[in-house]
Amino acid sequence: MDMNEETSQSRKLKCDDTSKCFQLLESILDGEMDNSKEVLKEKLAKCQPCFEHFHLEQAIRDVLKTKCTKQEVPTELADCIRQKIQDIK
Amino acid sequence: MSEVQRRKYSQEEKNNIFDGEFMPHIDSMYNFGYRLTFDEDDAKDLVQDTYLKAYRFINSFEQGTNAKAWLFRILKNSFINEYRKKSKQPAKVDYQEVETYYNSDDVDYQSTTDLRAESVKGMLGDEISNALNSLAVDFRTVIILCDLEGFTYEEMAKILDIPIGTVRSRLHRARNLLKDKLRGYAHHMGYDTDEEEEI
Ligand SMILES: [Zn+2]
Repeated sequence: MDMNEETSQSRKLKCDDTSKCFQLLESILDGEMDNSKEVLKEKLAKCQPCFEHFHLEQAIRDVLKTKCTKQEVPTELADCIRQKIQDIK
Repeated sequence: MSEVQRRKYSQEEKNNIFDGEFMPHIDSMYNFGYRLTFDEDDAKDLVQDTYLKAYRFINSFEQGTNAKAWLFRILKNSFINEYRKKSKQPAKVDYQEVETYYNSDDVDYQSTTDLRAESVKGMLGDEISNALNSLAVDFRTVIILCDLEGFTYEEMAKILDIPIGTVRSRLHRARNLLKDKLRGYAHHMGYDTDEEEEI
């Protein structure tokens, strides 16, 4: 897959512990792990299911972050809130 | 004793906190409200209620701590306690039911998906948004908080009043449900989902 296609032969085709690995990968992607770079490098180099899972999960996070349409905030909302705060002061 | 521990901000301090720490989050708050209700007026009401509550309880906010998380927690509680009750449209899944069902730690992490990263990257914003919007509110919420708003697991745990382990498993579950939706789009759009990439 991708540019790493040529290295995929050296990866295991079955993951030893999908639950543990995937949970770890997802924590790394969510920024919950310190020193994650080394762990990640090793996992992705050794295990094909981990490699694929990581890239799919990463793609999903990326599109959510960059492509989800944002709702424009109504211009009067902030003023409306300030007015109500004035009233209860 | 409790009188001493309870901070009392001066009027000026209150104004500063409100303008400097609360109001800058109005965009995120409104988007969160909109993604919970899918209605502009309801989202406005939720945000307005949240800011009024935030002002009323400003003494329980510790200056310099995470105002965004604090505000999100108020909005989420308003949504559950008030909006959902008066909503004509009953929630599709009962909150409590979801909790007990998905609180189990043994979320399965099987790799069963035939969805490819490349297909996901090629999808349109509308497809992604629609997939997210079609999830039950509790699943939608964790994805909004984590991926759209960038909260940490710990912040999410506080916002949602659930343990971190539950945050993690609910997120995982939510993303799996999202993948199911995206796989549907991928098939529909004729994106390649289960074929090996041709070289
Ligand atoms: Zn693995």
